[in-house]
Amino acid sequence: MGSGSILRFMENEAQIVALSVMALVYALKLRWIFKKNLVKEITPAKGDPQKGARLSLLSIAMPWTMESMLKHPLRYFEFVIFHLGVTAAIAASFIIPYAPKLFTIESVMYLFQGITGFAFIAGAVRLIKRSIMPDLRLISSMDDYFSLIVLDVWLLTAFFGIPNKDYTALISFFIMTAFFLIFVPFSKISHYLYYPFARVYFGRHFGRRGVYPKVGEKNMEAAK
Amino acid sequence: MNNTENVQKVIELLKKKISRQAAISFGVCVHCGMCTDTCHYYAATKDPKMAPAYKVDQLRKLYKYYIDWTGRIVPGWVGAKPLKDDKDLDMLMDALYGSCTMCRRCTLNCPMGVDTAMLVRIGRSLLTSVGKAPQGVKDVCKAQYETGNQMAVTKEDYLETIEWLSEELQTATGDRGAKIPIDKKNANVVYTINPREVKYAPLSLLAAARIFYAAGENWTMTSEGWDNTNFGLFAGDDVLGALMGKRQFDKVYELGGRKLVVSECGHGFRATKWEAPNWAKMDLKFPIESFLETMTRYIKEGRIRLNSSVNKESVTYHDPCNLARSSGITEEPRFLLRQSVMDYREMYPNRADNWCCSGGGGAMSMSEYTPRRLEVAKMKAEQLKATGAQIVVTACHNCVDALSDLIKYYKLNMNVKVVSELVSEAMIIEKRIPLKVVAAEEIIRGSGERILVIDDEPDIVTYLTTLFEDHGYKTLSAFSVDEAMNKILSEHPDMITLDILMPGKTGIKLYHELRSKKELLNIPVIIITGINPVDYPQIDFRKFIYERSLPHPEGFIEKPVNKEQLLITVGKIFAHKQTAVKDA
Ligand code: SF4
Ligand code: SF4
Repeated sequence: MGSGSILRFMENEAQIVALSVMALVYALKLRWIFKKNLVKEITPAKGDPQKGARLSLLSIAMPWTMESMLKHPLRYFEFVIFHLGVTAAIAASFIIPYAPKLFTIESVMYLFQGITGFAFIAGAVRLIKRSIMPDLRLISSMDDYFSLIVLDVWLLTAFFGIPNKDYTALISFFIMTAFFLIFVPFSKISHYLYYPFARVYFGRHFGRRGVYPKVGEKNMEAAK
Repeated sequence: MNNTENVQKVIELLKKKISRQAAISFGVCVHCGMCTDTCHYYAATKDPKMAPAYKVDQLRKLYKYYIDWTGRIVPGWVGAKPLKDDKDLDMLMDALYGSCTMCRRCTLNCPMGVDTAMLVRIGRSLLTSVGKAPQGVKDVCKAQYETGNQMAVTKEDYLETIEWLSEELQTATGDRGAKIPIDKKNANVVYTINPREVKYAPLSLLAAARIFYAAGENWTMTSEGWDNTNFGLFAGDDVLGALMGKRQFDKVYELGGRKLVVSECGHGFRATKWEAPNWAKMDLKFPIESFLETMTRYIKEGRIRLNSSVNKESVTYHDPCNLARSSGITEEPRFLLRQSVMDYREMYPNRADNWCCSGGGGAMSMSEYTPRRLEVAKMKAEQLKATGAQIVVTACHNCVDALSDLIKYYKLNMNVKVVSELVSEAMIIEKRIPLKVVAAEEIIRGSGERILVIDDEPDIVTYLTTLFEDHGYKTLSAFSVDEAMNKILSEHPDMITLDILMPGKTGIKLYHELRSKKELLNIPVIIITGINPVDYPQIDFRKFIYERSLPHPEGFIEKPVNKEQLLITVGKIFAHKQTAVKDA
């Protein structure tokens, strides 16, 4: 097998297999979760559970609604950049094999490189913080560190792979991507699978009780 | 139960307790630490072990080890750990009982939507199932199971207090027909209360009665199922939770009541309205309302009118966590206070972002954790201080106790009241007789009963004996515990007021002796104390009685003494005694 066909295999078949493994594990996980009893509230609603759920899902994009995000704008900024980088890298893993022309447009290519590059820096900052801040260190498991390290390395390979020119960079990116797809369901990175459910349950519960969305805009000023 | 049995039971129960919401909350935490400084335990101490995620991780690691996929395959990788012995359970107890008030402040601040407080309650339920709970919590749960109320108030005592308060209501309103109805059929409102209101804070119940009277409400209290508090919420005991709710609900059905109104109690309201119907699986056919909502309605409907100029002192409002973060009640108390007082000041942050009083989650009955509770109350103390208010008002009797404690500890110059007291004060009734004047000068008159005043400070003894004698009582006095004991044995007083901090033996020792000797057991005792836990951490009355499962004293008054509160408490106790003698 020549280097061209190895790359093609890594871009296509390997990704499809890895994706299928991921989908299967996720399906099993969801089945397991949905077998669990869903606690339902009997008391008639005071607020609007549906509105609560909608806003709760969007809350991550509304930092002003949460004291914790307002108090730590830098952490919020790191979070946004890091997750934008992950999204850009995922998009790149499809663009390179299926729409390579897009990265021939220089501005698009630089935009993706910029995002993944900054995301890598944000990831490194997060790793340093996790390693040195006592309150973060105390709650961190090996999974927390390792997931962050591999994710950051993956962002770096994406950064170098996005120009779609260098063979080593591309093969590294796609090997990392395939590894990821298989690794993610077994790691803390699978939080994104639970996330929508967590936010919806949260929003419904507090929305129903009239707690969420919160009242009292002045709180936020004081929290700053 | 031995070590292994406890561990086995906890593991089995953990497997049964995991709902879908709990599994998601366990699984979705990314250890980002955003919740860390939103918890008053961490914010006040900066101790990483007080971070919400760390505390819940003590339970999460068990979940991962016994239930979660990855944890079962590669435990070390995800921080999963087995439960080994009772020592592990003790550590879990310290994290979940001793370091969390289940206030849900971290829950509302978690970007992922982890309901930390819900997980804490699950952990507590496991611990409770093997008897691993603070002694005070166990005692209160036992009292609720066995007597139907958390302070083990007997039915006779309860009914006599209500009858006596009815007489106070008649004097206060000038209407001989005014009374607090009991077990009235088909009332619009069935009113349930916190037992503290009959035991130590009758002024708040009297205030509620005045408000119902002025609004012309068709209301009733009940002879049974009258306790709205619910330690099932704090102990994670769904059976007790259901039972306490059901006792109230059944009574409403039995009487044909149209609405259940819960007095000012944060967790009592949350448990009764939101949680107990789920635990008891009862789809109720009547609405449940907080007394704050009821009072707001009366004002909006023009059924009561208020004159805010009566309350001139500056006032701020503390949001009880269970009302603001678990029941959506934030605006009603503010509306009521703006109508009732001249100078209302907001505290920051407020409403659902307010800091916990540090006494939630049953913390007031966990005397073993009192020093920690007071240390972490720093956040609340700073908040209160910044308002510069003279009175902090809240809508929860549990918060009243916690705030009173922290005010003493941090030496703040403030008083604590509940909302209905200020509303009642400001209420315009045709022949307005202010509650305080009535209570102190007109109603409370003794008929020669003998009160032994025990205090080492001559000024206090003089003040109290004069006050009692001016109101028709006879007095004796003692300046030390030994002198007091001699007088008790030789003079057989009808009641004792007891200071805690005295040179030599403390008042706590004397209280223990009184409650351990059969012949002295029936002498009512009112504790009158100004002891500051900062200065005397070793003298903790609450801890003492909880550790020994002693009965509560008949009255508990903080120094500086509120004359009206003292006289009303004394009057209530003698009213009970007279009825008991008559019955005998
Ligand atoms: S509970 Fe929420 S805020 Fe706290 S560490 Fe976990 S994910 Fe972060
Ligand atoms: S529920 Fe309240 S006390 Fe408990 S960890 Fe969260 S913020 Fe702290």
